[in-house]
Amino acid sequence: MSRYLGLFVAEAAEHLEALSRDLVSLERQRSPETVDSLFRHAHSVKGMAASMGLEAIATLAHRVEDLVETLRREAGVWDQALVDLMLEATDTMQAQVKAAAASTPVDPPSALLARLSDSVRARTGEQVAPTRVARAVHFTPASVPAPAGPQALDVLVQVLPSSASPGVRAFLVHRKLSALGPVLSVQPSLEELRAGALPGGRLRVAVEAPGGEAAVRQVLDGLAEVELLSVGPHRAPPVAPPEGPVALEGARSVRVRTELLDDFLELAGELLLATSRLRELGKRLGEAQRPALEEGVDRLHGLAKEMHGRVMGARMTPVAVVTDQLPRAVRDVARRRAREVDLTVEGAEIELDRAILDALAEPLLHVLRNAIDHGIEDVPARAGAGKPPRGQVRVTVRRARDRVNIEVTDDGRGMDADALRASAVARGAVTAEAAAQLLRSEALLLACLPGVSTAPDVSDISGRGVGMDAVKRAVERVGGTLELASEPGRGTRVTFRLPLTVAVLQLLLVRTGGEVVGLPITKVLSAVEAEGSAVDMAAPAPTLRHGPAQLPVHALAALLGFADIAGPEARTFVVMETEPGPVALAVDGLVGQEEVVLKALSRPLDQLPGLAGVTILGSGRPVFILDVPRLLG
Amino acid sequence: MAKRVLIVDDASFMRNMLREILVQAGYLVVGEASHGVEAVQRHRELKPDLTTMDIVMPYRNGVDATRDIVRADAQARVVICSALGQEAQVLEALEAGAADFLVKPFRAEDVLSVVRKVLGEDVAG
Repeated sequence: MSRYLGLFVAEAAEHLEALSRDLVSLERQRSPETVDSLFRHAHSVKGMAASMGLEAIATLAHRVEDLVETLRREAGVWDQALVDLMLEATDTMQAQVKAAAASTPVDPPSALLARLSDSVRARTGEQVAPTRVARAVHFTPASVPAPAGPQALDVLVQVLPSSASPGVRAFLVHRKLSALGPVLSVQPSLEELRAGALPGGRLRVAVEAPGGEAAVRQVLDGLAEVELLSVGPHRAPPVAPPEGPVALEGARSVRVRTELLDDFLELAGELLLATSRLRELGKRLGEAQRPALEEGVDRLHGLAKEMHGRVMGARMTPVAVVTDQLPRAVRDVARRRAREVDLTVEGAEIELDRAILDALAEPLLHVLRNAIDHGIEDVPARAGAGKPPRGQVRVTVRRARDRVNIEVTDDGRGMDADALRASAVARGAVTAEAAAQLLRSEALLLACLPGVSTAPDVSDISGRGVGMDAVKRAVERVGGTLELASEPGRGTRVTFRLPLTVAVLQLLLVRTGGEVVGLPITKVLSAVEAEGSAVDMAAPAPTLRHGPAQLPVHALAALLGFADIAGPEARTFVVMETEPGPVALAVDGLVGQEEVVLKALSRPLDQLPGLAGVTILGSGRPVFILDVPRLLG
Repeated sequence: MAKRVLIVDDASFMRNMLREILVQAGYLVVGEASHGVEAVQRHRELKPDLTTMDIVMPYRNGVDATRDIVRADAQARVVICSALGQEAQVLEALEAGAADFLVKPFRAEDVLSVVRKVLGEDVAG
C-alpha cells in the first residue's frame, strides 16, 4: 500500500480542501448541490483512508458523512456551531493526512468523535453505533467502464498552429463530430474551448460513430486547419477523473512535480538559445551551404518553440487554485475579529503560470486579511458611517492583454496617507521633508516599507507574518507591480499587475552610449526616427511631438549613466508605455528584435533598480533588459 | 461547373477583396449583400453553393441571418467572416448552423482552403 501513499495524500488533501470550501459556502447559502458535493468529498476521503488502513481518518470522515446525511434527509438546522464542528473535523483530517504522509501514526481524536456523535444524535435522536470503517469499505480502482457502445471511437485532432482561433476551430470539430453520434467526452471541455483554451492545440473527442473511422475521417477532411492524429476504439477513461483516485495504470493524466516542469522549461529555454546561436553561426557559411542549414535551423527553432509553448501551457493553472482557499480564510479572520464580511471572487478561471501563482498565494491572503483586519469596520462603526452592516471584499481577476490584474477591493475605512507618512518618519524610513513631498498614491506605498503600518494594534492576524513590504517584493519578483489606491472612509484597492508567464519575452534591442540593451516589446508603443527639430528643448523639460501629443523625452544613455555619444540632432526615439503615460527614450539606434529567455539577476545586480534581468543573445552576447518605469522612477 | 458563391458584408472593400480571391480561384460570385436582411433574401433567390457572412452588419447581424438561412435551407453552407475578438459570436453562429469560419485579416490561401473544404472539393486533404 505504501506506494499509493503519495497519491493518497495528494488526493485526500484536495478533497479536504473542497470539503472546507463547501462548508463555508453552505454557511452563506444552502443548496442541495452543495450538500451533495459535501457528502461526496467526505465519502471519497472515507473510502481512500479506509483502503489505506488509516482508520482514524476514515472514522472521522464517516462521522462527517453521517452529519451531512442528516442534512440530506431532512432540512435540519444548519447553524454556525455545526459548521464550526465540521470545519474542525476537516482541519483535523488535514493534519492527520499530513501525519500519514510523514508516516507518523495517527490516533483517533476521541473527543472530537464524541462531539460529532453527539451532534448526529441530537439531530436524529438515533444512537450512533461505534464504527470500524477500515475493513468495511473497499477500495474501488477506477476501472469501471463508461457506458459506451461498440462503435465508440477515440479521436485525437491537432488544430494547426496557424489557426487564428484554435479554441473556436476545436469547437467546430466537436460540433461536426457530434453530428455522427453521441459524444461521450471532450477534452478540453466545451467551456474551456469557448474560453479559447486548447493546450498544445489538441482536442480529444470520444464519440459513438455508427459510421466508424471512415465517417470520422470524412468529417475531418471537410475541415480546414485541422489534422487527424489518431482514431481508434474507445477506451474508458477513469471514472470522474478529478473526483476519484487517479487510475494507476493506463492513466491519461499523471501528477508531475512543479519542479520537474521548471526543469523542462529551463531546458526548452536553453534549446531556444542554442538554436539562435546556431542560426548566428550559419551566417558565416557561404551562400551555397546556407539555405540547407537555415532550413534545418528554422525547423529546429519551430520545434523548440512548440516545445516551449507546450511546457508553458502545462504550467498554466487557473487562479482558482489560490482563490478557492480564500473564502475559508476570510471566514476565519472575520469571525476572530467579529466582523461581518462578504467575499466575492470574479475571474477565478483565468490562468496564470503556476510559478507566479505559487509565489502569490501567501501575499494575496495577506492583503485579504489586511482588508478585513484593518479595512472593514465592526458593525457599530459601519452603522455610524452609514454603511451596510456586512463589509464587502471583492477579488477580481482580469486579463489585460499580456497581463493579468488581480484586484482586492474593500469598502472599509481606507488608508490614512498622513498616518503612514507619520509612521514612516517615526521609523526613520524617510525624512519628514521627503514624506511631506510624497503624492498621496506614493504615501500609500509607504505601507510597503518594512515595519511601517497604521494598525494601532498588532493582532495575530495581519500584524505578523509577511507585511506589505513582503507582498510588494513577492509581486516584483515575478515581474509584476503592486498598486494601492485608497479613499479614507470609502475603502482600499490593492492591485497586483502580473505577467501571464515567466521567462520568454520579445525584446527590442537598442544601441545607446555604445552599448546594446533590451527593451520589452510589450511596453514599446512605437519607434520613430525624428529630426532634432521635432524635439522641443524649451523648459521645463524636453518633449517630442508624437502625433497630437507632446511626450516627455529622456536620453536613455543619461538614465543609464553612459556617455552620450550621438549628438541631439538626428535621433531615434522609442516610445514606451509607462504608468503615468507614454515617454520617448532617445537612443543611438535600433539594433533589432529578438525573442529571448529572461534570466533573473543574481546579487548584487538584482539590487540595481531599472534592470529587469539579463539574457544571452544568439550571438552569445549578454544583454541587460531594462525596466523603464523603474529607471525613470 | 463553377461553384456559386454569395458574399455578404457591409463593407464594399471586404466584398471586393473576397470577390477577387474567389473569382481568381475560379468561383462564380453570383451576388452580394450588404446587410443581414438582404442576405436572407438573396440567399432564397440565388440558392448559392456557399455564402460568406460578415458578423457585424446593419439591420440584421450575420449570426441571425445565418440562423434564418439554415432554418430555411438545411443544406445551406455558410462561412462566417469574423475578426479576432469575435470568438463568442462565431461560436453562436456555429451553433446556429454555420459550416465554418474565417478570421480577418484574410489571406487568400486561408479563404480558399476553408471554402474548398466546406464545398467538399478538397477531400484528399
